[in-house]
Amino acid sequence: MNDFTLEGDAALRPAIEQALRRVVDPEMALDVLALGLVYGVAMREDRVHVRITMTSAACPVAGLIIDDVQHELAAALGREVQVDLCWDPPWTPERMSDSARAAMEWD
Amino acid sequence: MGLSRGDRIARLALLALAVASLAAGVAGGLARLGVASAGAAAADHGALMIAGFLATVIGLERAVALGPRIALAVPLASGCGALLLLLGEPSCARALFVFAALGLVAASAAIARRQPQSHTLLLAAAAVALLNGNALYAAAAPAATVIPWWFAFLVVTIAAERLEMTRLLARPRWAEGVLLAITVFILCAAAATLVEPVSAAVAYGAGLVALAAWLTIFDLARRTIRTQGFARFAATALLAGYAWLAVAGFAWISSATIEPRARDLALHALGLGFVFSMILAHAPVIVPAVARVPMGYAPFLYVPLVALHGSLALRVIGGFAQAELRRLGGVLNAVTLALFVVSIAATIFAARRRPGRPAG
Repeated sequence: MNDFTLEGDAALRPAIEQALRRVVDPEMALDVLALGLVYGVAMREDRVHVRITMTSAACPVAGLIIDDVQHELAAALGREVQVDLCWDPPWTPERMSDSARAAMEWD
Repeated sequence: MGLSRGDRIARLALLALAVASLAAGVAGGLARLGVASAGAAAADHGALMIAGFLATVIGLERAVALGPRIALAVPLASGCGALLLLLGEPSCARALFVFAALGLVAASAAIARRQPQSHTLLLAAAAVALLNGNALYAAAAPAATVIPWWFAFLVVTIAAERLEMTRLLARPRWAEGVLLAITVFILCAAAATLVEPVSAAVAYGAGLVALAAWLTIFDLARRTIRTQGFARFAATALLAGYAWLAVAGFAWISSATIEPRARDLALHALGLGFVFSMILAHAPVIVPAVARVPMGYAPFLYVPLVALHGSLALRVIGGFAQAELRRLGGVLNAVTLALFVVSIAATIFAARRRPGRPAG
């Protein structure tokens, strides 16, 4: 699994992970952390920056997932959240969590 | 990354345009069954459903994924084309359909550039199939040469989307190559219809059967059917659709060789049983994603799903046994589609009223 990078207070990681696990892709029935969609979270002075990807550039649900990430992190951290969608590096199934990969019959 | 009020209104207006195209296409279908009075819609049932309604929703989905506002011109053109067809302006309508297909090719190519992978390239190939179909339709080519391209557009689009989703599930390395070969085979069969119609129809049908087998074996749905809630509902709709895809393939072969009466079955097993089942599976997510409102799901959505497959079965049996039964099945198909639109609207409305994240 490729965990996301956290810039800032490491003590906040559990709260961030808990918030991100509430953002679930409806058809896959997996959250964005299990899918390995989150590349990084950076705590800046004025706001929280999140780098996230999608499994497909043709996915129209991206906007809704980004809205959910913003809402959940803002509620958990009490700060403004900016989410950047990026395509490099591209998502691969190796990014999924161990439990998600086991559920999807890998290994 | 909220959505501006103007953008949301534009997207909702395009969804309304798509629903209007669907209503016109369904009216045309009912007129063909002798239930409603015949008009322009009856002659152009296929164009209204595929070049109008389905190209509009797929164009809207692609435009939302791509981002820039100009991409909304694609669904706007196909939706307006459907309206112009109804208003008795076929030349303008056909030109708009070609323009929309060109736009979809450009939008799909832009997405393939952003993420150059098999599934995005397949989406671009599917858009080219729509362009071929719409260009032949604009040139007043026989329906028998247009329809294979129109359905190839839908089938390859769905194959591409499922290929992307199934990347999550472990599968043999050769599986992706087999799917690509099947889709190329279907596209070649559509092209061959112009020169060798019977052999091409047999090949086309065989391609559909092979695709149904691939999807049944490798799709994520066989995994998510064991989950709960929306994921299970979507998997049920997907797997039921794959069964109809296989039926459509066999009927396509039969209608060109031994049983011409199988043509209605081939077209509607594919259009209603497969394509609309895919739409039912995804609309509860895609429609809120386009309108940027929270997603809603209720077990009630199984009602239009069961009604769709039940009414189609009735229509199929009626097609071979009794004309009245076929007509009843067709009317129930139309009622089902209306029920589906109302159900999706109701689940979204209910989700908006629930406490939680504010819309937008």
